[in-house]
Amino acid sequence: MTPSPFAQVVTVARYEIRKYIRGRRLLGMVILVGLIVGLFVGLPPALGIKYASTPDAFVSTFATFSGLLVVLGGVLFASDALVSEHEKRTGYFLFPNPVRREILVLGKIAASVIVCAAVLSLYYGAAAIAALAVTHSLTWDVGLSYVYALAYMIAVVGIAYLISALLKSTVAAAVLTFFLFTLIFSIVGGILPLAKVEPWFIPTSASGIIANALGGPAIRGGPGGGDLGFVPDPVTSVLVFAAYAIAGGILSILLFRRRELSS
Amino acid sequence: MQAAIERPITTDVPVHLEGIGKEYGHFTALKSLELTVAEGTALGFLGPNGAGKSTTIKIMTNLIRPSRGRASLFGIDVRREPTRALARIGAVIETPEFYGYLSPFETLAYAGRLRGMSPKEIRNRSEVILKEVKLTEWADRRIQEFSKGMKQRLAIAQALLHEPDLLILDEPTSGLDPRGMAEVREVIKSLKGQGRTVFMSSHLLGEVQEVCDDVALLNHGELLVRGSVRELSRGADTSTIQATFLRPATPQDLEALASLPGVEEVKDSGDSTVDLRISGGEEGQARVLEAMINRGLKVTTYRPLGSSLEQLYLDRIQESDRL
Repeated sequence: MTPSPFAQVVTVARYEIRKYIRGRRLLGMVILVGLIVGLFVGLPPALGIKYASTPDAFVSTFATFSGLLVVLGGVLFASDALVSEHEKRTGYFLFPNPVRREILVLGKIAASVIVCAAVLSLYYGAAAIAALAVTHSLTWDVGLSYVYALAYMIAVVGIAYLISALLKSTVAAAVLTFFLFTLIFSIVGGILPLAKVEPWFIPTSASGIIANALGGPAIRGGPGGGDLGFVPDPVTSVLVFAAYAIAGGILSILLFRRRELSS
Repeated sequence: MQAAIERPITTDVPVHLEGIGKEYGHFTALKSLELTVAEGTALGFLGPNGAGKSTTIKIMTNLIRPSRGRASLFGIDVRREPTRALARIGAVIETPEFYGYLSPFETLAYAGRLRGMSPKEIRNRSEVILKEVKLTEWADRRIQEFSKGMKQRLAIAQALLHEPDLLILDEPTSGLDPRGMAEVREVIKSLKGQGRTVFMSSHLLGEVQEVCDDVALLNHGELLVRGSVRELSRGADTSTIQATFLRPATPQDLEALASLPGVEEVKDSGDSTVDLRISGGEEGQARVLEAMINRGLKVTTYRPLGSSLEQLYLDRIQESDRL
């Protein structure tokens, strides 16, 4: 008796998470998080610079890098999830099982989101602990910034899955995902205001709310354009993230369902 | 409304292919294949590279879509209800790759869970099946260390895990050493003995002859022959016979042999051995032997070179290539 679709999603997600853990990608990300946290906490006293006095200002330093961490998470834990089944021929094992392709995609997306969220939680957890140790206080804004970062992460995962369903090579999918968020969206988000178009629909511009939640545009305007960049209001930003996540997820399912394993 | 105008599947035989065809751009991989496999039988699916064997198997296992026609397993349309259609099958398609970070036990557990098997059932069956494919010692090792042959054994193990009613095998002994090939053949024969249905593509005619009841021969995406192995072997019109004489045959003997009715070709292979291509089936072979003895040639051995199925295969493929 074939199990319920939900049970199959859980099974797929469990084995995908195992892949990330055993494949050392997760370990690499944890080391990277440790390095970033270590530099932020260790470098100022080593250079004789005072720490920020408020928890929001302290965590905002961390928040500026959370966007990059999210993109790296999307590259490492999402961009090759679908394309690898074709390229590495593991689909010949997986696909003849009585499981629908959309279930496979949903299980994989769930695994990617869980792993990326774990990395992000570790990062914000470390930042919050450091802020508490240095400033002896914490604010809800830190939590809000974390929630925005999670929302941005889900959007990145959605788009990474779309790319993974579209391309034929794992390397190409990883490279395109990385440069789409670190370069292409940023350039478009930076140039559009010059043409009097507000780039509210660009996810990297919307990701500015992650740092803005901790002190407004005066601290950082978002990866899309630095202090001068446009950052949509939180509601619009979250809706933009949701739109990218849903559109990316649905399109990746449709493309993956149609894609044939003929190599 | 749509269901009402569609032709219903009237049969729930393990495999029922109704005019399936597949095009890749301008290239036709499969023309319009009609094929049925009855329950409890083993069908050998033969054909040269590019004949359309793998395409057919991929359509049957929902890896690719047919351009036309319908494939059903146990009466269930593979495209419309893939989950139900694939529930009763086990498949080995090409040499699949597995997740290198998993062990064979974990791989089987993954497949078992997707199929709804209980953890206890998975454990018990995995032990049995890994023993059967001689992977017990490697059961907890990561697959990334495995050779192609070991992966092929694991592929067979995952196909057998849930004791499927229909086994679809695409060159199941590919990558195995002779001992491994013999073991896999034994596994397939024992499954057949249990009343399971086997659909097996292979290049190895001897293997098909040993394991299968029926044969379907495909070339250029078209079905050339379909019938039982026994009938087709008997019905093969021409065969190559190797005859060895006590003394070497003289040029006059060879000439005389070549002029016998039914002898299409005579080749002196040296060492008192002659290869004769004879038409007329078993009757023709008997007549030629009789004529040799009547001529005073002392025949020490008289045996077919290769199987008659092989001859049939070669004849039909050659014929179809000429068209």
